[in-house]
Amino acid sequence: MIEDRAPTRYEAAQKVTGAARYQGEVRAAGMLHAALVTAPMPSARVLGIDTARARALAGCVEVLTHENALRIPPAAFLTLLQEPVVHFAGQPVALVLAETPETARAAAALVEVRYAPMPAVTALEQARDEAYAPRTAGLTATDSRRGEPEAALAAAAVRLDHCYTTPTHNHLAIEPQVVLADWNGSDLLVQTPSQAVFAHRAGLARCFGLDIERVRVISPYLGGGFGSKGGAWFPCLVLGCLAAKQLGRPVRLELLRAQMFTLVGRRQETVQQLKIGAARDGRLAALLHDTVAQTSTYGEYADPVATPTRMMYACPNVATTHRLVRVNAPQPNPARAPGEGPGSFALESAIDELAYKLDLDPIELRRRNFADHDQHAGLPWSSNGLLECYRAGAEAFGWARRPSKPGTLSDGRHALGWGMAGACYPAYRIASQAAVRINLDGRVEVRCGTQDMGSGTYTVLAQLAAEALGVPYAAVDVALGDTLLPEGPYSGGSMATASFTPAVEDAARRLRRDLIARAVADPRSPMHGRQPDQVSIADGVMRAGNRSEPLIELLARVAPQGIEAAANAAPNTKPAHSYYGFGAVFAEVRVDPDLGEIRVTRLTGAYATGRILNPLLARSQFVGGLIWGIGMALHEKTVMDKNLGRIVNDNLADYLIPVHADMPRFDIHMLTEDEPHLGSGGVKGIGMLGTCGTAAAIANAVFHATGRRIRDLPIRLEQLL
Amino acid sequence: MQQVAYHRAASEDAALALAANHPGAMFIAGGTDMLQLSKQGVVPTQLIDISRLPLDRIEPRAGALRIGALARLADVADHPDVRRDWPALAQAIAASASPQIRNLATVGGNLLQRTRCGYFRSADLPCNKREPGSGCAARDGENRLHAIFGTSPHCVATHASDLAVALLALQASVHVRGHDSARVLPIAELFRLPGDTPQRDSALGAGEMIVSVEVSRSAAARRSCYLKVRDRASFEFAVVSVAAALEIEDGVIRSARLAAGGVGTVPWRLVASERALAGARAEPAAFAAAAARAADGAQPLSQNGFKLELLRRTVRRALEGLTDA
Ligand SMILES: Cc1cc2nc3c(=O)[nH]c(=O)nc-3n(C[C@H](O)[C@H](O)[C@H](O)COP(=O)(O)OP(=O)(O)OC[C@H]3O[C@@H](n4cnc5c(N)ncnc54)[C@H](O)[C@@H]3O)c2cc1C
Ligand code: SF4
Repeated sequence: MIEDRAPTRYEAAQKVTGAARYQGEVRAAGMLHAALVTAPMPSARVLGIDTARARALAGCVEVLTHENALRIPPAAFLTLLQEPVVHFAGQPVALVLAETPETARAAAALVEVRYAPMPAVTALEQARDEAYAPRTAGLTATDSRRGEPEAALAAAAVRLDHCYTTPTHNHLAIEPQVVLADWNGSDLLVQTPSQAVFAHRAGLARCFGLDIERVRVISPYLGGGFGSKGGAWFPCLVLGCLAAKQLGRPVRLELLRAQMFTLVGRRQETVQQLKIGAARDGRLAALLHDTVAQTSTYGEYADPVATPTRMMYACPNVATTHRLVRVNAPQPNPARAPGEGPGSFALESAIDELAYKLDLDPIELRRRNFADHDQHAGLPWSSNGLLECYRAGAEAFGWARRPSKPGTLSDGRHALGWGMAGACYPAYRIASQAAVRINLDGRVEVRCGTQDMGSGTYTVLAQLAAEALGVPYAAVDVALGDTLLPEGPYSGGSMATASFTPAVEDAARRLRRDLIARAVADPRSPMHGRQPDQVSIADGVMRAGNRSEPLIELLARVAPQGIEAAANAAPNTKPAHSYYGFGAVFAEVRVDPDLGEIRVTRLTGAYATGRILNPLLARSQFVGGLIWGIGMALHEKTVMDKNLGRIVNDNLADYLIPVHADMPRFDIHMLTEDEPHLGSGGVKGIGMLGTCGTAAAIANAVFHATGRRIRDLPIRLEQLL
Repeated sequence: MQQVAYHRAASEDAALALAANHPGAMFIAGGTDMLQLSKQGVVPTQLIDISRLPLDRIEPRAGALRIGALARLADVADHPDVRRDWPALAQAIAASASPQIRNLATVGGNLLQRTRCGYFRSADLPCNKREPGSGCAARDGENRLHAIFGTSPHCVATHASDLAVALLALQASVHVRGHDSARVLPIAELFRLPGDTPQRDSALGAGEMIVSVEVSRSAAARRSCYLKVRDRASFEFAVVSVAAALEIEDGVIRSARLAAGGVGTVPWRLVASERALAGARAEPAAFAAAAARAADGAQPLSQNGFKLELLRRTVRRALEGLTDA
């Protein structure tokens, strides 16, 4: 089993012993603590803010409001404390700075804000008729069209037309967002859990009119992010830096759990109308997928919800649209499996519905509609293991034993159901730099300014360098999460690993070539005079034929100061292929037919996502993704009171996520797949894929168990009574 | 965040004296609810810590079980006598919260924990229970998890305790002490309907402390159970729950006690269902008849109408479970 040989986590010992310092733990001499005063209503003008009582509290140093906060230039993000307008409940209207966190919060409670409430849209359905087309849907076009979808639908032998809805979610990483901002003259040091240290550096430099070299962002460890520690965190991050600049002291701002529901993004609510036209043999004739989703009144973001419908299946006539409705609610942004997560719920549920309508096995129906190229992009797949995923997943799950009729499997009093779904997520990569260095003592350093969200980036960086250079994994040290390092990719869109892998491998190979070149040129080396291609390095020892020499001996002679190599890897600007990871997910659910309780008892996932660098880490990514899928299917929902425009479950007791007792047995299969075209060293992303299709597989299993088709997430027990 | 004065009581009497001398002071036992409430802005100004007092004994006696108010939930649920002779108690606790919380939380604190209504738990939303006169946002708001029994125009929040429901079915009594008073009340009388004073959850007077809870031995207690329906497998309050206790002799139900959670503003006795059972043969037909009456008198809100049928089904399932082999 390869898993036995996979290196375990690079930083495991630091994390279990507490030696790893998260950014919430760092302190600076003389620092001030910040507390936010937030608006209690979803739309208002601020008429006045009385800070006298707050300031009078001993230890309260300053209260910043739109009246006295430093100006920052208008920007694409919400600039806080710049104008007296409230766009959503929970928006900061003042920032209190004090000597202790307790004083800051006590003073915040004493700030008196007078508001003139304004009309508010507090739910998507209130403004459905004002839906508009955003500029883009994620990184893709807002709408798509090929063939004659309406005509083909009208002419189709079998038709389906249903509405699927998914609610707002919050990311809720275990570690809250926090920043310690420290100015030294016009140099800004920012210590914060960041999914994108370089983007944060560039953004902060722009805000404060600095050269980027003046700003340093450090983020060695993250306690999860899921999309909430990139751009979504930026408005509050800026606020912390602004306060530190204005007060001339370091400032620490940490969000409360409730504030993580309003200030660092959310997965947008969707309403998806999906129409399918098909021939009697199941071949798709038309797909129309119209999505409406929530955005804020001050910003625009649309998840690419209908994108799986564009490319997952072969179909000549496809139309997709994305529309947004402005609601006085927090700004949505990408959350794990943005777009494809909720979009695949609708598509993969609808395909299941079609299978039952045609009395076809859901896998057979999908096989018949396999797309042998990306019909949306008009490009060949760089690699596509979907058929193999269906096969391997079905075999592992025992799908062949599935009775086709719903409501036939049972386990005592409980109904059992089996469901499956396909999964896809685009494989992206962006530019990355990396440097690899070997020192006189034989220790190797990898330097790459990307981040480790807790998913294993340290480990993978060390592994890549160790393998490409030929040194033991334990000899490698990794530096990441710092803008002083070579610029690495941001952590998002499942693309960090595919982006830095070619850069690290290239740098390590350059270093290897350099070492070999020096050895063969060195008269004192046992390799002297050999052809470089006859020389190999393994376990820190150079070898040619029966001669060998440890690298440290070579270094001592030729480069006592160590040797470094750097590389830069950038993606093709004009790709000739379409890049996706694919998978198939199979769910078994147990439903109490009287009481409606649903538990997932088994989840099997088969995935084809290129080269798997570390099966232990990859498995944990897939399991994490599947757990998000369980949450999407059965638990997660941010509940907004429409009368008040306020979130009423903004804590982890009332916002349900799956707990251990909700975990099924996870059976993960990672298929061997060659990915020759992406230029990523064979890597495709894996972080999102586990969440794609999973909610549909569970809902499909619920249908198989009960004969009830649930199209609104999360599935609650009352929907099954 | 406001300043809180903290007193650690050295003895039961000292605790009661402190309470008498500090109007508005509250006891803190395991603190699992109290600390949450204070973070959520529902803050007392004075805390009297009673967690170290020796009121944590679990004493099975000839006629009854006496549980000290400071007994930890985990200890009660793990007690072999409790598991054998009062299974509904052990089951109700096992289905409550999480192991970590059960290790800290006490019986007295559990009974007096405050509602989980999201409006109550947010510092600045309209809520008559937290801020009398501010209105009840749940009535016309998010009320899927709210009550169908015992509601008033002023409050519709459920009582959240699982243990209280089981204790109600087992007809427990609550021993209460004040600075210079002592009384025993049936558990049903510990809880107050919201009426027009929803800010008062319990019948305890100022400075009164629960010292113990007592349940008698009975055939019904031995044949008792607790069934909880919830939105996830663990660590979640009841959507609906039922505690049932039956005394059956020669196939005939001599006495029946049923109480429900997740449905009432206080733990709710299902009197009509109990009546339907008394004297009937312990058979599915009687259980169905009792279940049919379970939601009598219920007043659903905009989002919780499903609780009526769910309650009927839960009653039926609980009763069937008590007679299955
Ligand atoms: C995440 C979470 C999930 C939970 N899930 C459940 C669940 O599923 N089911 C369930 O039943 N409960 C649940 N609970 C509630 C938990 O059981 C209670 O918080 C706990 O039982 C309270 O006991 P305590 O000793 O910690 O009380 P404290 O927090 O110390 O006190 C609670 C209240 O009781 C008062 N008090 C305490 N002891 C006495 C006394 N002897 N006399 C007079 N007044 C007293 C205090 O003044 C305070 O008002 C959950 C709690 C949490 C945090
Ligand atoms: S139901 Fe009761 S606790 Fe909830 S908002 Fe209304 S008054 Fe407050």
